[in-house]
Amino acid sequence: MGLLSRSVSIMRYRVRGELAGSFWDSVDEGVKKGAFREIDTPGDEVGMGWVAMEDFTDRDFPGASYLRGNYVALSLRVDTIRVPPRILEIQVRKESAKLLEETGKQRLSSAQHRELKERIKETLKRQVFPSIQVFDLIWDTSKAVAYFGAHAVKARDRVESHFKKCFGLTLVPLIPYIRATELLVDKDQQQALENLKPCSMAR
Amino acid sequence: MTQPACNKEYNIMDFLDLLSEKAFLGREFLTWLWFKSDQSAWRIEIPGKKVVEVRFLDKMTLDLSDADTPQTVTLKGEYSGLREGLAALREGKKIEEARISVKAADNDFAMILKGKWFSFGSLRTPPVLPASEVDEEEPLEGAFLEKVSLIEESMEIVDSLFEYFLKLRTSDRWESEELPGVRRWVESSSG
Repeated sequence: MGLLSRSVSIMRYRVRGELAGSFWDSVDEGVKKGAFREIDTPGDEVGMGWVAMEDFTDRDFPGASYLRGNYVALSLRVDTIRVPPRILEIQVRKESAKLLEETGKQRLSSAQHRELKERIKETLKRQVFPSIQVFDLIWDTSKAVAYFGAHAVKARDRVESHFKKCFGLTLVPLIPYIRATELLVDKDQQQALENLKPCSMAR
Repeated sequence: MTQPACNKEYNIMDFLDLLSEKAFLGREFLTWLWFKSDQSAWRIEIPGKKVVEVRFLDKMTLDLSDADTPQTVTLKGEYSGLREGLAALREGKKIEEARISVKAADNDFAMILKGKWFSFGSLRTPPVLPASEVDEEEPLEGAFLEKVSLIEESMEIVDSLFEYFLKLRTSDRWESEELPGVRRWVESSSG
């Protein structure tokens, strides 16, 4: 479910850091640099990157289509390919038996076994459909805050590191304490906040 | 760009320490919010600001944060939570997450507010006008901006309640008035 759905789950972030050079040029560069790339390198099991919020197949963003007023609206698309382990095991067994018969050897060395397994995995990857996940991100550039449409740890880790890689900015989750340091502006209150310890709310 | 009041940088270890050491803040806030809402017939008056209507709905999770092993209890079902929830509070548990509704002006929002991460689950805003009914040159952008403004409104309401709590929690009034009030409320509901 995207951020624009009727019911949404949102993680709120503070965007920390400064963009180098012209702000909007750097944003554009970051979006294009981190645009979605399919799984195309051997060994890769994840393809990831920004796509348009209203169309997860659009990774070109013509005319800076991600821009809505002061907001940058993006989706992080994550394609994952997983070869079922049992299928891989069956194929590896079949192929190693064939190889042993051809070479007349008793067993494969661990390097040969590893190489065979990788080769079979790459072949099988081409026969499996990826699972496609799409997570929305809205970045309010005027308030340096971002809303991410998922709570799952893995999705959050991915968006935090991808955002850093593309824009050089840090997404800091607005957990209660960090939000509290922003809401309390009085020095005495901030000091009291830092020294707070949990209290018992029952007698 | 407007910068936030606090610009402190956090490295990952600082952040993880903060997350675990200060997790009680979110739990205490939710527990206090329930007390405040129950005591004021759902209408919480934030001094000098506004009145916010806060209702605790059909789901609540409480846990014992200081225990060596997690002790969690989840309550579901409309109005059923009150008795069991207060019983869990008497055991020293605090609210980790709750489905609540908040309303400060015309708009009503429902959400599952989570104490540890201060995140918003299943946030329901009032409906946005369909793009076809928005009288603008760029209807899609209009619908987007309206939805984002509703999301922000809901967060501002929660922030204003959290700020009210923080000001009390960091003042002398917490120990002298507010906390004894919470404890009396927890206790008075026994039996």
